[in-house]
Amino acid sequence: MSSTPADFFSFVGSLSRFGVKSLVSAVTPPYEWQFFLVQIEDIGWRSLPLIAAAGLALGVVTALHTRGTLISFGAEALIPSLQSASFFNELGPLVTGLLISGRVGAGIGAELSNMRGTEQIDAIDAMSADSFRGLVVTRVVACIVVLPMLTVFMDLTGLIGGFFSEHMASHISLQLYIHRAFSTVSWVNFIAPTLKTCVFGFIIGVVSSFYGYTTDEGSAGVRRAATSSVVLSSLLVIISDVFLVKLIFFFFPGKAL
Amino acid sequence: MSEATAVEFKNVSKSFGDRKVLQDVSFQIEDGKALCILGRSGTGKSVTLKLMIRLLTPDVGSISIESEDIAHLPEKELSRVRRKIGFLFQSAALFDSFTVADNLAVPLRHFEKTMSPKDVQHTVEELLGQVGLVKDRDKLPGELSGGMRKRVGLARALILNPTLLLVDEPSSGLDPITAGEIDALLLKVKQERHTTLVIVTHDVREARKIADTLAVLDQGCLVGYGTLEELKSSENEVVRQLIWEC
Repeated sequence: MSSTPADFFSFVGSLSRFGVKSLVSAVTPPYEWQFFLVQIEDIGWRSLPLIAAAGLALGVVTALHTRGTLISFGAEALIPSLQSASFFNELGPLVTGLLISGRVGAGIGAELSNMRGTEQIDAIDAMSADSFRGLVVTRVVACIVVLPMLTVFMDLTGLIGGFFSEHMASHISLQLYIHRAFSTVSWVNFIAPTLKTCVFGFIIGVVSSFYGYTTDEGSAGVRRAATSSVVLSSLLVIISDVFLVKLIFFFFPGKAL
Repeated sequence: MSEATAVEFKNVSKSFGDRKVLQDVSFQIEDGKALCILGRSGTGKSVTLKLMIRLLTPDVGSISIESEDIAHLPEKELSRVRRKIGFLFQSAALFDSFTVADNLAVPLRHFEKTMSPKDVQHTVEELLGQVGLVKDRDKLPGELSGGMRKRVGLARALILNPTLLLVDEPSSGLDPITAGEIDALLLKVKQERHTTLVIVTHDVREARKIADTLAVLDQGCLVGYGTLEELKSSENEVVRQLIWEC
């Protein structure tokens, strides 16, 4: 990423300018609806199987882990509400962010750097078409829009996984599981953590597009762009999560768990 | 500058960081003529081409396309000038996810927004016919050979009927027969459409076939410029080596 402090600050400056430019371009016309919808399909729809599989597995695993502990305190009935609290507040948003930074971040980094290396971006610019708007802005906005949707899907599949696990262990009915899962959850517990994934989406979109769009090093550049996109976007997702959780607690202190 | 000058470089310099890629380069190309830019790898040939369509901007000097200095044109005006320029990239630069026909339609849809889909299709078919690829219209670039990709790239570069065609290494990565076919197509473009050609190449034989004028770059400097006969009397070592190859 950078070898000296000057390189580091130069990198941070370039990445920040890139992010600001993508946001400004996103809210000013013309809008590339057609390319945006293609990205929604690619980033959102095609990620659903991964999110579903991960959500189900995580739901089962967290239920298995919490069951032993809660039974020893005689609090078995709290398992569904603990499942919903952990998924809505943290597991759903964070795991979705990390999974998408892996799947989509690497894809965007590799795709754009390959387009740069094969002069496809130059070909777009040579026609005076706005390659930044068509390739970068559409991906960044699609990530911002899609992440909360995928998070909701992860939350639901996590609860379904938890229900299966609990049903196998205690034969709890679906109706009772749902009642207990949602009895302690308020809208704030659900909406604020879900919407924080918009920031994750922005980070993933900007970081991976930055690496892909600005590289110019052939096949080595493609590999580096894909790897760096995943590493940096995952790291920034985790770091930003700390600040976003603090921010949510600041605005909704009564609802903080 | 005379009215018939298609491209003019005046004292153009370009650097990337500390590396000087072009140094005080000046030349001009007459309308309808073909210029081949020769030189070793890394001497600034492709940079010269990208400067002509302002994919890069010069640090110093002016670049005029049909008497308009493009180095300082606002984006809207630049778009109008670029409308007159076709660019065949070294890798053909076809859009991976688009079919051959869609690749050709992209410039039409961008520049000719009022053109009906039927007219777009007709123009695409006509160009594909000229490069012999009508039956491949629905293929993706990944399904094409290197020569076919170059021909699609050439068709796309010609679809707006440009007055200036920039060609970067037309024969690179191609076998001699396929390279000869591309050269023949370029010659046909020059003779039938009277398009001004600027071709960057390593292949001196190719340059001899197509070019009216040769430019030789060495370490960012223009060390030779003229017809083949004129360059034969050059005292520059690099020019003499290249001409000897002819």
